[in-house]
Formats: sequence, C-alpha cells, structure tokens
Amino acid sequence: MNDRPKQDRHSSDAQPASPDRRKMLLGLGLAGGAVASGLTPGAAFGASTAGEASQPDQALEARQPFYGAHQSGVTTARPPAGLVVSFDVLAATRGDLERLLRKLTERIEFLTQGGPAPEIDPKFPALDSGLLGPVVTPGNLTMTVALGASLFDGRFGLAGAKPTHLQRMPQFPNDALEAESCHGDLLIQICSDTPDTNIHALRDVIKNSPDLLALRWKVDGYNAPARGANQPPFTPRNLLGFKDGTANPDPDDNSAMNRLVWVAPESAEPAWAAGGSYQVVRIIRNFVEQWDRTPLQEQQSIIGREKKTGAPLTMAAEQDIPDYAGDPKGERIRLDAHIRLANPRTAESQANLILRRPYNYSRGVTKAGQLDMGLLFICFQADLENGFLAVQKRLNGEPLEEYIKPVGGGFFFALPGVPAKGLYLGQSLIEATELPGDSAHPTPRKSS
Amino acid sequence: MKSIRTALLIGASSLGLALAAQAAPMDLVGPVSNYKIFVAKGVDRLVTTTAAFTAAVKAGDLKKAQALYAPTRVNYETIEPIAELFNDLDGSIDSRADDHEKKEADDGFTGFHRIEYGLFEKKSTDGLAPLADKLNKDVVELQGRIKTLTIPPEKMVGGAAALIEEVGKTKITGEEDRYSHTDLYDFQANVDGAKKIVDLLHPLTVKADPALSAAVDKNFAAVDGILAKYKVGNGWQSYDKVTEADRTALKGPVTALAEDLSKLRGALGLN
Ligand code: HEM
Ligand SMILES: [Cu+2]
Repeated sequence: MNDRPKQDRHSSDAQPASPDRRKMLLGLGLAGGAVASGLTPGAAFGASTAGEASQPDQALEARQPFYGAHQSGVTTARPPAGLVVSFDVLAATRGDLERLLRKLTERIEFLTQGGPAPEIDPKFPALDSGLLGPVVTPGNLTMTVALGASLFDGRFGLAGAKPTHLQRMPQFPNDALEAESCHGDLLIQICSDTPDTNIHALRDVIKNSPDLLALRWKVDGYNAPARGANQPPFTPRNLLGFKDGTANPDPDDNSAMNRLVWVAPESAEPAWAAGGSYQVVRIIRNFVEQWDRTPLQEQQSIIGREKKTGAPLTMAAEQDIPDYAGDPKGERIRLDAHIRLANPRTAESQANLILRRPYNYSRGVTKAGQLDMGLLFICFQADLENGFLAVQKRLNGEPLEEYIKPVGGGFFFALPGVPAKGLYLGQSLIEATELPGDSAHPTPRKSS
Repeated sequence: MKSIRTALLIGASSLGLALAAQAAPMDLVGPVSNYKIFVAKGVDRLVTTTAAFTAAVKAGDLKKAQALYAPTRVNYETIEPIAELFNDLDGSIDSRADDHEKKEADDGFTGFHRIEYGLFEKKSTDGLAPLADKLNKDVVELQGRIKTLTIPPEKMVGGAAALIEEVGKTKITGEEDRYSHTDLYDFQANVDGAKKIVDLLHPLTVKADPALSAAVDKNFAAVDGILAKYKVGNGWQSYDKVTEADRTALKGPVTALAEDLSKLRGALGLN
C-alpha cells in the first residue's frame, strides 16, 4: 500500500481544457447557431477538442480524450447533458471483475471517440442500438467510472486496498434517503452534448455487460445554456433560478486541481489510487413551488447572492469576492447563508474546497402532486473528509434546508485514468491486490 | 415535519421580544404577543396530553393509546412553525420513517410516528416504553425552550404559509400518518394553526390588502367545507375514506392558500 506508483504512469497530466474550450462548451448545444465561427465545416469535422467545433451540429463531432493520467469528465467543462447511473457488480470472481473493467475500457474508448457502428448479419440482433445512426458521433462524451465502498468487501479481495476515506454515504440530518436511489458498487457518470448520446452510451454498456452489472439507480440531468450577457463567466442557473458554479475552483488550473481534486502519488491513499478522485453524488430534491412562493430578498439572503447577477449580496459583480472578515455579524451576507457556510473563506477552510460539477434534474410528479425536480449534486475532491464531509457538516441545519431534501446518491472513488492503449480502467487496483500466483492476464505496462 | 428552520434561531435567540417588535411596525406588537400566548398554551397542552398518551403506552393499554394518539399530536401540529425552530427536537419528535435510511427499522426513528407504527401497524405496545419515555422528555424540553423563545414577527407571519406548505407537501398524500390514517387530525391542526395567525393579523391585513384578505378567507372556507364532510363527533374519519376526488379537490384551495399566504409578509411590509 505504501509503494509508490511507477512514475511513468502518472507523469503526463491529461490535456486540460483550455479556458476558451470551457466557455465554448457551456455555450454550445442548446444555444443555437450563434457561436463565433471562423472554421470551415471541414476543419471542425473530426476535431479533437470542443473548442474547435464551431456550430452545434458539428459539435457532435467534438471529442474528449480517453487516455491520460486522469479520467475525463472531472475537470472537463460540463456539457449540456449529464447522467449518473449506479450498478451492483454481479461479477463473481476477480477474473470476472477484471473482465468487466476491460470491457468498460473498450466500450468507453469506442463511444467517446466515435466511429462506424459495427454491422453484422441482420438475422441477429444488432450490436449497436442504432440511436445515433450508422456512425456513432462522440458529441463530447465522457464516461467516468467510479467505485463504491461496497466493492471493497470480501468478494474480490480488495478490502485491503480501499481508499482511506471511502465509505458508505451516511444519512445527514436533512436527508430522507430512498434505499432504491442510494449507493452502489460501480458508478458511471456520462456527460455529453446531447441526451441521446448519453442514452446510447448507457445502452451500449448494459448490452455489453449482462452478466456483470445490474442497474441500481439512474438520474438524468441537464445544464442550462448560457443566457443573457455574452461576457464570461457563463454560469448556468440551477432550478432555484440562481447561478450555480460561480465560486468553483478553476478546473483549468492544474496546480489547484492537483491539490484539491486528484489524489497525489505521495498522499496517505493507497498507491493505486493516485490520479483518481473521490466523487460524491447527491440527489437533492428542490421544493420549487414553495421556493417560488418565497420573497426574493429571503431567497437571496438564504443563498447569500443576488439572484439576477449572481454577485455576493451588496456587491456589484458575480466574480466579486465576499468580505466576511469585514462583515463579522452577517449584516451584508448572513452568517448562515449557503455560500458563507459552504466556504467561510478563512485560512483553514481553504483545505475544504471542492470541485462541484452538478446537473439539474427534472422527473415526474410527487405523491403530493408537486414537481419532482432538483439538483444532481456532484463534487470531486482529493480528500473526502476535508472536502464534501467538512462542507456538508457546516451546511447541516442551514436555512436552505427548508427548500431542499436529499433523497439519494452515494460516495464513490473515480478511478485513475488509463494512461495508454492496452491498459485498462482500474488496472492499478487489480494489480495492487494480486495474490502471489494469481495469474490474471498479465499485461505489459506501457509508458506514456 | 421539518419546515421552517434554524436561521430563525439566530433571530430567536439574540433578540428580545421588545427589541424584535421595535424593528417591526408597532401594530404587530399585539398580534405577536397574542400569538406567543397561543403557542405557550399549545405546548402546555402538548405536554399534558403526551403524558397521558405515553402513560397508556407504557401501561400496555393498546386501545387507549391508539385513541389518544391523534388528539395528542394535533397539539404539536398546531404550533409546528414554532416547534420546528428546534430542528433537533423536531427530528426526534415528529420525523417520519422516510427520513431515515433504514425506515421503520432505523434506530434514529423515534417520536410520534415510531410509536404510531407500533400501535397501529404492529398493533402492540411491546418495546414502546423507552420510546414513550423519550417522547415525554422531548416535549418537556420543547416546552422549556419555547418559554424562553422570542418570536420574531416575520416568523409568525411566515408561519401561516409554512403550515399550509406542510399540508400541501405531506398531508394531502396521507403519508404523514400512514399507519393510523389519522391524517385529517393533523390536516385540520395545520389549517387551524395557520388560521389562528391569519385571524390575529386580520385587522392589519384588511387594511393593507383587502383583496388578499378576502381571498385568504375564501380559501380557508373552501378547505373547511371539504373537510367538514369527514368530521365524526369530535374526531375525523380515517384518511382512507377520503375519496380520490376530494383529495384532488383539496389541492386547489390548499395551493391557492399557500400562494396567498406567501404574500402576507410582503403585504405587511415585513422582511
Ligand atoms: C439543492 C442543493 C443546492 C443548491 C440549490 C445550491 C446552490 C448554490 C448556489 C446558488 C451557490 C452560489 C453560486 C456558486 O458559487 O456556485 C452555491 C455555492 C456553493 N455550494 Fe451549493 N447548493 C446546493 C447544495 C450544495 C451542497 C450539498 C454542497 C456541499 C456539501 C454545496 C457546496 C457549495 C459550495 C462549496 C459553494 C461555493 C461557496 C463559495 O465558495 O463561495 N452546495 N450553491
Ligand atoms: Cu409534521
């Protein structure tokens, strides 16, 4: 557990998204054709990053990298459609578990990079659902695989290799958890430019792992398009009508991400986990009817920001930094405002910064005849204890709780990336837990 | 169940009544202090009825305990916006199985609904004695905390809306008292609690916004009209007897009330 990972497997960081690409992604998809263009369709076709795509239809050709020190879908800009699906792993042996991880690697590589769907004798069921037509468009797809604490039980001999803080999500005071929407052995976060790209990817995984995975729960979400000002930051709004993501750490800031999001090789975590990240998913229902019946000033003081502009209360611009030291009594921003509790901006609370990557969800109607919608809260952090758990502890009892109800989700560990072709997701874990004499398909390691 | 929350605690604990009233229009001083008396009486009644209810539970008198369950609870539901300011107590007194991951089997599931589960689902008082003791202790604790509480005017006024939100969210579905089906008791208690606030404010509201005041009165009457059909003696029929059509019919006036009451604070110029 304390031997260092081979340097070569972690030496190259995944290509970070450029700021331009992030903005572009946020503006894409639902925003119509008004995106700056200077590229010919031919130039955009087959481009490898979203920033090079210039029109929504061509955007479906944009792709995110699959190989790298980290999985895509964490620091990648949030595209318009997101889906989270949790599975029970049915694999019975370590060999089956490895087969599952190799299969996922193969499918995700294909789906994220795109290409012609395989064709076979029509007397058989087709291999591809056909949702995207004969050629699978990548559409900025990312599929991020994470493991739950339950996978580290006795089944696969992984118990000794569990990331130190990984645990079954506990019940917090305001939670009303529904057992059928919680936890799971394996989570896949699927994000792309369109909902059908996500569903196509999900159906592909399910078709390819019938004996290995059983569906547990799933939530589909979307990201609001940038609206109004053509100036960055293009912060989308959540279902409370507030900009959500304003004060997030910058995913393009590699050194911040290495500190806050990615498990470092020299951390207290098992060596295999380096390059991975703790992923928290919370399905948080919003009582939107009640919220819509709440005075605007009350909404704003509960959050701590101006609804219209996203600026901290009494300040002018969205990116202004609240001055809590200068407001010790909470006269400008209440002491129990969401943003103030979530990040009190003290020297100590710097250790608690997390990377949020939420989606809005909207599903049916509750038994009470109210809208069942809310926030598919997702966050990543290098240290679960210092990250989500510390922040949630401060938020417990916040006034916003009157309007929200967490009903599901779980704690997971997003696997390190696949450094190069021929290697597979979770390989470092499988190898770290190999018993002497275990002859599970030795694979030569490649350096990247 | 949980509704108005902590934040209020800051206001509640750091301001004295006089101070809080000063910050608001002088006209509100009367209604707020009358409301405070109403709440104090309510919690006193909660303490005495809970003592009798839990005594029956502990004596193993199933019939009597079942009979006392709903009439005891109503004393909580009527003053819920204030009782809920203490959300630790609200959780242990009034949480529902859904609020706990292991539902009925969860150790954290205590209070009225846990005892209700024993009395009406298991039809037995077995094992309920410690839960009865805890409930008794919790309501006495609540009584103590309410005694020293200052009710900020905006919380009183907002409380009317909060009670009706509560009805719309959990009472109409019959999920609050799912084992005993005594939901109509809670339903009426929430409505009465809201009505009390509205009545105390009436002289101010008719002046500030006569149309709003009339609309509120009309919708309270509509709700009462539908509920009246299900009254039996001093109590209420089982919620399973409420027809699907009436459940749906209740939604309209309840939602309209929630909309109207959400404007009360603004109409009275409160923050
Ligand atoms: C439905 C539930 C939630 C809603 C509607 C919500 C909404 C918001 C909004 C509107 C902001 C301000 C804009 C921004 O900086 O992004 C914000 C900030 C934030 N929220 Fe939440 N949030 C929710 C749940 C959570 C949870 C569960 C956590 C973590 C435990 C959390 C942590 C944060 C953090 C860390 C910030 C940034 C504060 C800062 O750095 O100033 N939020 N949230
Ligand atoms: Cu209740």
